[in-house]
Parts: sequence; C-alpha cells; structure tokens
Amino acid sequence: MTTEEQHNREPILSVQNIKKYYPVKQHAILFSRIVNFVKAVDGVSFDIYKGETVGLVGESGCGKSTLARCLVKLEKLNAGEIRIEETDIVTITKRSEELAFRKEIQMIFQDPYSSLNPRKLVLDIIREPLDIHMKRMPFEERNQRVYEILNLVGLEHYHALRYPHEFSGGQRQRIGIARALILNPKIVVCDEPVSALDVSVQAQILNLLQELQEEFDLTFLFIAHDLSVIKHISDKVLVMYLGVIVEFGPTSEIFKNPSHPYTVSLLSAIPIPNPAIEKERIILEGDVPSPVDIPPGCRFSPRCYKADDDLCVTIEPQLVELKPGIFCACHYPEKDKQVIKY
Amino acid sequence: MALKDKKPKLLEVEDLYTYFMTESGVVEALDGVSFDVNYGEPVGIVGESGCGKSVTAQSILQILPRNGKIMDGKIRFQGHDLVGLTDLQMNKIRGRKIALIMQDPLSALNPVISIDEQMTEVIKLHQDVDDNEALEIAIQSLDAVSIPEAESRIFSYPHEFSGGMRQRILVARALALQPELLVADEPTTALDVTIQAQVLEIIKDLQKKQDLGLMLITHNLGVIAEMTQRVHVFYGGRVVETATTEDLFSTPQHPYTRALLSSIPSFSAEKGRLEVIPGFVPQLINPPKGCRFHPRCPWATEICKTKPSMVDLGNGHATACHHYDKLEEY
Repeated sequence: MTTEEQHNREPILSVQNIKKYYPVKQHAILFSRIVNFVKAVDGVSFDIYKGETVGLVGESGCGKSTLARCLVKLEKLNAGEIRIEETDIVTITKRSEELAFRKEIQMIFQDPYSSLNPRKLVLDIIREPLDIHMKRMPFEERNQRVYEILNLVGLEHYHALRYPHEFSGGQRQRIGIARALILNPKIVVCDEPVSALDVSVQAQILNLLQELQEEFDLTFLFIAHDLSVIKHISDKVLVMYLGVIVEFGPTSEIFKNPSHPYTVSLLSAIPIPNPAIEKERIILEGDVPSPVDIPPGCRFSPRCYKADDDLCVTIEPQLVELKPGIFCACHYPEKDKQVIKY
Repeated sequence: MALKDKKPKLLEVEDLYTYFMTESGVVEALDGVSFDVNYGEPVGIVGESGCGKSVTAQSILQILPRNGKIMDGKIRFQGHDLVGLTDLQMNKIRGRKIALIMQDPLSALNPVISIDEQMTEVIKLHQDVDDNEALEIAIQSLDAVSIPEAESRIFSYPHEFSGGMRQRILVARALALQPELLVADEPTTALDVTIQAQVLEIIKDLQKKQDLGLMLITHNLGVIAEMTQRVHVFYGGRVVETATTEDLFSTPQHPYTRALLSSIPSFSAEKGRLEVIPGFVPQLINPPKGCRFHPRCPWATEICKTKPSMVDLGNGHATACHHYDKLEEY
C-alpha cells in the first residue's frame, strides 16, 4: 500500500502527545511527598492504519510496555489523547462505552507463564472475555466459540479441559492469543509475545500471528526488543528512546537507511546470525539514563557519536518528516547511512 | 599447527553422561557428549533451552546441583581428567584455571559485600599476595573492562552499578587470575542489545589479548556468528553437529541445524512465512529413542530410531545424522 493511499484514510488508532509519569515518593514517618517523576512515556504521537503491523523497538526502560499499557487503558494517562477510529478512549466515563472500546483493542502479554491463571481451565480462561462482553450469548454457544478459536490457534479440543501448567511455553502463548482474539478485536497490542520462547517455537508463533492477521484483518502494535523479529513481522517501525519516539517510518527504509543515530547504533549492535553479512560497528558508550532525570536537550546526546556541545545539549529535537513517511527527531540526522550491508 | 597437535587440547570432553535424579524419574541431561576446545580458541555451544548447554558447564566445573551426577565419561583439562577429583583438588582449578561467568549478573554478586572485597577475596585465595597487591590487581582488571574511575568505584556495592557494568565486573573478576579457559554461560542474555554489544566487545578483546580459551554458551546464533571460530550444536543432551562457524552457517549438515537456521527471522530475506520446526524440544526424562531429533525431523526414516554416531566430514566438520550423505538432495 502506498503512502498516498494511506493519507486518504482515517487511522484506526491515533495517539496524540500522550504522557505517563509515575511519582517518586519520599516517605517520612507519617507523610509521603512526591519528590520527582519517572517520565516513562513523555509525549508520544503516532497513527496506525487498518491492517498494518507497527513494530515498537527500544531497550528496557524506554517505555515500550508502559505505552502498550496506556493504549489498552491499563494505566491512567497524565496527558494526551488516544482515539480508536472516532472515539476518544481517554475521556470515557460510562461503563457501556468502556466495554465497547475494550472489545476493539486486546493485548497479548510477554510472559506466557504468569499471564494465565493457573487455577482456571483453559476453557474458562479463553471464555472469560465472552462472559463479560457477551452476557446474552447462550452458554453453549460461548463454549462453542472457544472450541472454534482453539482450532484456529493450532490447539486441540481436548486441551480446553486442561490447566495452564500442562502446556509448554509456546502452547501457552497460543492460549493467550486465543483469549485476545475471541472478541474479534480490531487492534491487538502484542507486548513481546515471543521473547520468552525458544527460536524454533518463536517461528511457529510469528507465523500464527501473521496467518491470523490475514484471516481477521487485524491491526497489530508489535513490541519487541529483537530487531530481527521486528524486521520480519512489521510494516512500519517506531523506535523509542527514554520515553519518546526518535524515529518512525516504513520498516524496509529504516533498516536500509536509518536516520537517527540511535537507530544506527541499535542496528549496529545486533549480532547477525550470518557471518557473511558485513556491518558497521558502532559501540555505544554508557547505559540508558534513568527516566527520572532525563538529560537536557536531546535525550540521546550523552551517548551519541554525533552530538555537539551546543544544539544537542540545549534544545530537544522534535519529530519531523525527513522524507515522505519517515519521521526522525534529530538535529543532525544521517543521510544514506547503511549499517547492515546485504 | 603440527606442534599444537602434539600438545593435549585445552579441554577435551569425551562421552560425558550427566543424569539428574528427580522425583519423577531420571533426567538424562547429557547423553554421551563429546567436544573439545583448543588453546586460545573461542568456541561456541549453541542450543535451545533444555538441550544440556548449562549442565555441560556445570559438569566441567563440577558445580552440579546435589541431585545431578556425572555417570560416565572424561573431562580432560590440559590432559588431566577432572572427573573424580575431590572438591579440594577442584578448588585449585576453579577460578584459577577455568573461570565461569553466569547469565544473571545480579545474583552472581553478593549484594551486601562491596565489589573490592568480592574481587580481592578470589585473588587472595589463589595467589600469594597481600591485601594491597590484591586490590591493585582488582583495580587493573576493572580498568581492563572499562569501568570508569575504577579506583574509587571499586568500593561501591553491586546495586550501585547498572546491569551491563555488573556483567563487566564479573568478567573482570573471572579474568583477574588469568585463567586458561573462560566458560561464559549466556553472558549477555539478560542485557539490552547496545549493552550486549559492549560486553561482547570486551570479552572478545580480552580473549585475544590473554590468548584465552573461550567456551561461549548461548542460544543466540547471532552472538555465535560474531564471537566464535568453531561451534558445537547441542540438541536433547547430545552434540549433533560440530563445525567451524563459517561452515556451520553456510553448509549446515544436520537437519536440526538447518531447521534452526531457517527458523530465525533473517535480515536479508523479504517478509514471508518462517520455516518452522514442528513440535517442541523433547523432555529428557523420557527422551525419544535413537536420534533425539527424529520425531521433529522431516527426513526421518526407520533407521533414525537407532542412535546415530558422529560422522567426520573433513575440515573439522562432523554431524550425527544417519542421512548426512543424502541431505543435499532434500
């Protein structure tokens, strides 16, 4: 699909300048006061169109998971707007509206061990969304739906009457996927769905997600720290660093010619399982700074190989459109930089 | 090379069997594992979870959990068999000759003891030095892993360092005694990619400088490709393929290695379906008979229900597959 076609359509999910701060409290004997904030998500905006898979990458602590939790309203926002099609989901107060939006957006969690209740049967785990949202549907029909979805995710009927501990990691992730899809959502937020799995099982789950996406015309926000997974599954990539988006654009473009120095160093850091592929080595200094005291100016400047002492440490760069469809927040973006030489 | 051949290898593991006795039965974690590491050579051990990678490291250093036991086999280190040595004798080898870096840098350091004590303790135990000299050695080795301001930071506690720095401290502690062999068990799995790149660079650098034998255990084929010269592929408690890193990636000769390589999303390929290995990693409590990969192998035949032996294909390439000569046709 071309960019022009996309411009003519309304995004299915639109995020405008969302912020999520967690207070850091200092405890006295009786009282506690807020001394600072962890700025987990600090002004993020992007649009996702129907049927797309948008990958979200970044290192631990950059706010990927917080962003995912904000999108499904597991966290209260400090500021910003999230729209699913036309509805602003942040300002919803009525229970009926709340239920309606939760049907549209579902989540698949990272850890297939702790995200399934060990005391419930698989049947009950997968049926639970129906019990909440489709109360009027006859019980037998709800069970029938569970059996249908089990088939779709590659499990057998008899699996429904077992407990989660009887399954392997990959099978549990299939149960998690079944639970997320049973309400026919439009958008699925996948928070590191394959990082806990072995590579051979990871491939099975990635293929399953792609098949389901085609069948149900799903839109994915796919979070991963593994760039090769992102490259494989997503149409567009969001690169996040310390609570902000530093680069956004079509996957193929960003992997071929990354613009932001952080994306460049990220690509250069991944070990590539092919000794024949050459790449430029850039080793970043230091660690990701704490999101409590964010460096002034560009957040990446203390670790950046291109940073100067003037602009980069004083003015925070804004996300601007470098080329059509490619957004980058950098004062000195790279042009035609090739990190991985195919 | 001819000279080196006469010398015993740095590490030679021969037909090693390590079993675990559990309530639900005997787990055959290692089932006749043989491989070697040459002097100054970075060797990779790769496999999925439960394939026996970590148990191999634990067997070599004899730090198996209480219910684990080496049943049979030889572990020759510089020509001397380590199996059957007492704890007292092993203490002279652990740390001084063979050092270990583990996966989780937080649990490998004692949180209530400062770094200088944790480092000098090891140094004083193995070398005849006083406190000041030991501290000097410790600071030097922290310098070598690029810990900034090592002279003052050495008196800090583990929680004052980030994950990547902790792992570098562990590398420094392991290498302070200039061991002959470094066993690194998933040293960067808990770290972010940019930090992983830092730590790998340091290990690679020191490995070359100190002419260290490196046994790098990982599930990440990318790390293997960047760090090692030779690889042993593990599956279900056995070595299924041994090759130089280049050969392994260009001409894998075991169906498992082939499937593993094609199931990882590659950077060059266009978007499409990944090839998958059906089923899952076998349970070693009741492992499949014969070739342990045969229930998942697309080329399995009747003969695969018997145990295949390692076949040498030349140039250090060996594979444990009955159908090795026909793989090209598939």
